[in-house]
Amino acid sequence: MNTEAALSAALGGTVVIESGDERGEFAGVLLASFGAEVIRLEGRQGSNSRRLGPFASSQSDAEQSLCFWRYNLGKKSVSLEVDHPGARDVLKRLGQRADVIIDSGEAADVGRRLGLYREMQVSNPGLIVCTITPFGLDGPYRDLKMTDLTQLAMGGVMASCGYDPQPDGLYDTPPIAPGMWQAYHITCEHAVIAITAALNFRERTSEGDCIDVSIHEAVSTCTEVALPSYIYNERVVRRQTGRHAGLAKTPPWLRRTKDGRYVKAFLFWGGRDVRVITEMLNEAGIEHNLDSDAYRELSERSPSEAHKNFSGLIDTLVASMTAEEVFHRAQAKGLLWASVRFPEENIDDPHYQARGTFKTIHRPGLDHDLAYPVSVATDGKQRVTTFQFGAPHLGEHTQEVLGQVGYNEAEINALTAEGAI
Amino acid sequence: MAQSEPAKSAQPKRRRPLEGVRVIDLTKIVAGPNATRMLATMGAEVIRVEWHDQRALDLLRGVQPKAPGGEADSFNRSGLFNNINPGKFGITLNMSLPQGRDLFKRLIAKASVLCENYSPGQMDRWELGYDTLRKINPGLIYLQISGMGKSGTYKDYLSVGPTAQALSGLTHMSGLPEPMPPAGWGYSYLNHSTGYYGAMHVMMALLNRRKTGRGCYIDLSQTEVGVMTSGTATLEAQMTGKPTERHGNRMPVADWAPHGAYPCRGNDEWITIAVQTDGQWQALVAEIGSSDWARDARFETAAERKANEDDLDRLIAEFTKNEDRYDLMHRLQKRDIPAGVVQKADDRLTRDPQLKERGAFVPLPHSEIGTWPVEDFPAKFQNMSVEVGGRPGRAAPCMGEDNDAVYRDVLGLTLEEIAQLKEDWII
Repeated sequence: MNTEAALSAALGGTVVIESGDERGEFAGVLLASFGAEVIRLEGRQGSNSRRLGPFASSQSDAEQSLCFWRYNLGKKSVSLEVDHPGARDVLKRLGQRADVIIDSGEAADVGRRLGLYREMQVSNPGLIVCTITPFGLDGPYRDLKMTDLTQLAMGGVMASCGYDPQPDGLYDTPPIAPGMWQAYHITCEHAVIAITAALNFRERTSEGDCIDVSIHEAVSTCTEVALPSYIYNERVVRRQTGRHAGLAKTPPWLRRTKDGRYVKAFLFWGGRDVRVITEMLNEAGIEHNLDSDAYRELSERSPSEAHKNFSGLIDTLVASMTAEEVFHRAQAKGLLWASVRFPEENIDDPHYQARGTFKTIHRPGLDHDLAYPVSVATDGKQRVTTFQFGAPHLGEHTQEVLGQVGYNEAEINALTAEGAI
Repeated sequence: MAQSEPAKSAQPKRRRPLEGVRVIDLTKIVAGPNATRMLATMGAEVIRVEWHDQRALDLLRGVQPKAPGGEADSFNRSGLFNNINPGKFGITLNMSLPQGRDLFKRLIAKASVLCENYSPGQMDRWELGYDTLRKINPGLIYLQISGMGKSGTYKDYLSVGPTAQALSGLTHMSGLPEPMPPAGWGYSYLNHSTGYYGAMHVMMALLNRRKTGRGCYIDLSQTEVGVMTSGTATLEAQMTGKPTERHGNRMPVADWAPHGAYPCRGNDEWITIAVQTDGQWQALVAEIGSSDWARDARFETAAERKANEDDLDRLIAEFTKNEDRYDLMHRLQKRDIPAGVVQKADDRLTRDPQLKERGAFVPLPHSEIGTWPVEDFPAKFQNMSVEVGGRPGRAAPCMGEDNDAVYRDVLGLTLEEIAQLKEDWII
């Protein structure tokens, strides 16, 4: 499957200007996947993400960052020092052409540019401005210095992720920040929801908006039962290895397989699960006593002991197969189990190939093409979002984009000479 | 933590981004309801369709935590359900009866959007698949959320959040390096984010429908949302041919060190510190004070700190272990060092002045359990009216709470007809 459905053009004709740092880049990627023309404004040295690895070559080259490639897929690049006095007129002209401006970074930096964006809205009242900052544009923590790690900590995700405590209840391992850039993913997804709502609003009213997205608040809304547990019962969940944080210790989910991998094999202890697992034990030729009177008696006398026994049999069952065998055999019997895959193992999986989840994108100069995740949905036949091209070279579209807003070659050269582009 | 403040007053309806959009919500648990939560927050009229026999019931109505007091078997007291379903109207409808399905079709004829996340094949078994419903309403946007998607090799596989997280790669990527097992996510992260993508796709489809006049079917896969959010891992593995590794809390793609969670005074209290520059390191050394190790040549440059990260982390932990976590965070922040306390739920609710000042928890009334805080949408808007209490201006609906209003106002039924439908166990 190599084609795309209509939603990949839902934002056709929509122009998004994206400024700022790595915190907002995923928002631009998502908007580009729906067909928006996303113009990434980069300083002369390029975006921060160009200096983050991993790199496609042994050199830490700004044109070789896989981080930049991933988070700037389908965008155009304009070299522009947005805080340079000479950039002001360029920004104003771009603002005339734009439907959406995204700016991300420290609140003080973004806030400084907000006045200019508001000026743009006077002449372009349909303009939607979305700022993405660590804590929003106001409040006592507004100017705290943050990274993805510290945001996942403050927002509460880390408190639920990690390993079991020791038998005495004390933890000897730290809370874990799931990798990578998840604070920024969560935030950018909310930013795109807000922007898309604003685009719908504009269709009806012709009015734009200013949207102030807080990374801290976005992360804090993404911890499932942790907050309600405290709100309603004043109890705090505790982290556990490979399974949900809980108020009390729960049975293990992660089990090791014959090929040294892991599966998530839940134990719901329902009658159907017991019957199905008994079948699987029989098929694998593993001796058990699950259908014996002795086991039934144990289940009545000591459910926890029976549970432990049953869990041990599942360990034995899982250890007799590879992770993929466990996954497919369990699913064939209606169990919700899965292999713990490396993310790249999905690229060649026929399921994802059939659904067009990945798309191979050519990058000139690279000796082999790379498959990127481009879609999370189909229309029943084909994927609904995609990217037409890969991440841009630094300043690749400067001439083109500035030309579109009325700059001639001499003016562009003058802007270059004064250090604005 | 029940509160007595009233819900925020309703803004003029003109300011709602999704004014005029009606969503029929057949979703359950978290992923689907989270999508419709977003749509309700943006001003859509979301009508949650439920039924109360054991097979059809949304299990989330029965899960802990529950609001204290009341009847133990009430369907209306779950705090998690209340947090995931604010701003929606609630009706009952027995879809297992032909009369129930006929009423459902009448609702679809009056709707813009249908969202559902039933098990594979259920809607087709009821003859309510997209091909049937589009004949009733050609402009319908039909969002179907499932673990694996409704096409492909795994279309009949079953999945919940942790299944999708395992298969997508997110579980493997989270945790300390081998030989430690994956830590994974300590909750169903993909229930949240699949909801975000669901709302996003529906609103994109609404924009598309304005341009083309056409509705559409969206078959959204929770596992693919996990793949989409796996960062640079798939690219790196393709470049290197090596499998993705876990890195704990360390920064694998830059020489940022120290970069981790460090113990503080108290039981299970932690602070995260992320040093990105030599300047920040020098500031941290100044904060540490007189310890000789901090000035050790092994830690002078970013590359050296990265190369000696095991020793560095051990020594930083020695420094932090007797510190108060909030006090240390503020001292480090004064020196412009990125640092943040690992906040638990009680910290966020009682010790976080930022969340309080920005109004991150909105007190919303509920018809049975009173007024409780609900998590707000994490942004402020200058122009639009975006309210987590949605059109009804309240928290989650009780089971069937809006039967009379919805069946009367949307389908034009009389109160006598509605009473008869109740009598016949259809609504």
